[in-house]
Amino acid sequence: MSVAITQNPARSSLTAIRLTGIIGLLLLLAVAAFLHLSLGAKSLDWSTIWQALTAYDPQDSDQSIVREIRQSRLIVALVVGAALAVAGVLMQAVSNNPLADPGLLGINSGAAFFVVGGLLMLPGTQHHYLPLYAFAGAAFAAVLVLLLSGRQQSPERLVLAGVAVTALFGAMTAILLIVDQQGLDKLRHWLTGAIGASDLKKLDWVWPYLAAALVLSFFLTRSLNAYHLGERAAASLGVNIRLLKLGSLVLVVVLSGSVVAVAGPIGFVGLVVPHMARLLVRSHYGWLLLYSLLLGALLLVSADLAARIVVRPFEINTGIVTALVGAPVFIALVIGRMK
Amino acid sequence: MSLLSFTAQPLHLTPLPGISLRIRARDLFWLGFFSALLLAVLVWSAASGSYSLSMAQSWQALVSPETEPKRIVRVLWEFRLPRILAAVLCGAALAIAGVMLQSITRNALASPGLIGVEAGASVTLLICVILLPGLIPVFWLPVGAMAGGFAVAGLIWLLSSARGYSPVRLILVGVGITSMLGAFSEMLITYGDIELVESALMWLGGSLHQVSWEQVQVMTAWLVLAGIPAWLGFRQLNLLRLGDKVALSRGVDNRKVIPWLLLLSVALTSAAVATAGTLTFVGLMAPHMARRFCGDRHGVLIPLAGLMGALLVLLGDTLGRTLLAPLQLPAGLVIVLVGAPYFIVLMSRAR
Repeated sequence: MSVAITQNPARSSLTAIRLTGIIGLLLLLAVAAFLHLSLGAKSLDWSTIWQALTAYDPQDSDQSIVREIRQSRLIVALVVGAALAVAGVLMQAVSNNPLADPGLLGINSGAAFFVVGGLLMLPGTQHHYLPLYAFAGAAFAAVLVLLLSGRQQSPERLVLAGVAVTALFGAMTAILLIVDQQGLDKLRHWLTGAIGASDLKKLDWVWPYLAAALVLSFFLTRSLNAYHLGERAAASLGVNIRLLKLGSLVLVVVLSGSVVAVAGPIGFVGLVVPHMARLLVRSHYGWLLLYSLLLGALLLVSADLAARIVVRPFEINTGIVTALVGAPVFIALVIGRMK
Repeated sequence: MSLLSFTAQPLHLTPLPGISLRIRARDLFWLGFFSALLLAVLVWSAASGSYSLSMAQSWQALVSPETEPKRIVRVLWEFRLPRILAAVLCGAALAIAGVMLQSITRNALASPGLIGVEAGASVTLLICVILLPGLIPVFWLPVGAMAGGFAVAGLIWLLSSARGYSPVRLILVGVGITSMLGAFSEMLITYGDIELVESALMWLGGSLHQVSWEQVQVMTAWLVLAGIPAWLGFRQLNLLRLGDKVALSRGVDNRKVIPWLLLLSVALTSAAVATAGTLTFVGLMAPHMARRFCGDRHGVLIPLAGLMGALLVLLGDTLGRTLLAPLQLPAGLVIVLVGAPYFIVLMSRAR
């Protein structure tokens, strides 16, 4: 360790800076989480929240708002944001495409279609099957988009393929919902990417998949770093390119499928967060994944907070807020990227 | 001597394609063929439905309504014909708008639905229907939709030409704007009154089930007002298709011409959206199908694509109302089921 420091002092100070950044992000996240718990249809003061978290008294209605409703919603937002951001990093890295995002590329809508189809068409569907439907749909859509974008994957082509796949699954979902009017009333909230208090239960069905996928994506760090140098360089460094691509595809499918099963299709988080993270750390994928994970959680908690307090006492769906924030970023990326 | 032959030869051998309106016998054949096909589908569509008629009956009632029983004539002229005509007109308008966009952007994958014009028009309409019901009389809704379509098209144009115009950027900015507007309309759909929302959803999916004769008249007017200038612009479109520099060398300045062509395209699209809702893939598919028969000569391509678009929407609407009867599927959704795979095939071919 000391040898490494004497050999490369610049590198160790860089590590120190990056660690400080992580701590800063964690602090920000803590503040956002506290705000998330305190603001809403009914604003609570910080001491109530502190008491609810440390010495919970179920008799106190204010404290029970914190524990029963807002806390579970906060957890869902944190997990969903982190998962989407990591999925975005993996997609952008492997497809070499700064415009990749599970929502834009149709993966979310594929998962959503399979979930709606499973709920409405297959009788006797049990709720813990839903993540499996979502995985199947996400995988189907991802493979379709990859096949479409062809051998020379230009970012534009990939986005257009995503648009076509999104349109196809969107239309099929809409037809299912027209055929089944009751289903429409039940599902229209979920379909726009809603985070609600009840979603903590849904998190129970998916958390093993999510946790495994998040941990596994950090194992890809070395391969991703090599891949960043180009496919040939990576191959000469001993990276199994096929395994890397297939592995990332599976991870992306599991991450975004789980998110869709819990909160519906939430777009643009996976697009925006990796770019934000890249402003902070250039190209080391271990740090990039870590930063993105925290930034994704931060972004989604803030979006959920905005969704709840902008039109108090009503709520906007979180997916709508992320699209309203993310689409301008997408446009800016498009304008900035191309001459 | 040598100079003379040098200038004369290229003029003789390589006339730029389609500068003049030259209609070949083959073009006339295809135009006639697809008109006849459209007429046949029209009669079939008029005959089918919950009160079904024979083809001969529906033809009779269309041609000489005096001789047929009142009931049949009424069903046909009051319920089915406006809907059929609206489908034909909207299809034609969207197809022509699509031809123009594809030639302007020189991108085979462009269409009014993909670059956000349809989304702009439909969000404006949703606002009028869900947020401010009753504020604007039904008759004026199309104008509102057009305002929205123009606003969004202008925004997309500004954003994508801020650093010099590029075709791909136009489309991608359109994708971004579309998803933003999509989020906004989802917001309206989620929180609106469920009954207003259900009718809005039908309409958003591209449904023609509530079309009146008035709307048909308005649509006809717009198709004539914007469609004929669009057709007259065939020379400019032919040249733009070949590249900005070629066009400039022939006296067509893309910076001056493109805004006008875009304006016509947006007018056609918004009028169709106001009548029938979003029919995303018509403006993409119809031009391609037409190109197979006449290539890039816009003098022929525009009317032929119009016919194709009319056929597509009419078929989509008729299938949508007969396949799962009494349930009605919006034409737009039926067309997406065909159109998205078509788009996909197009993409996989374009290398």
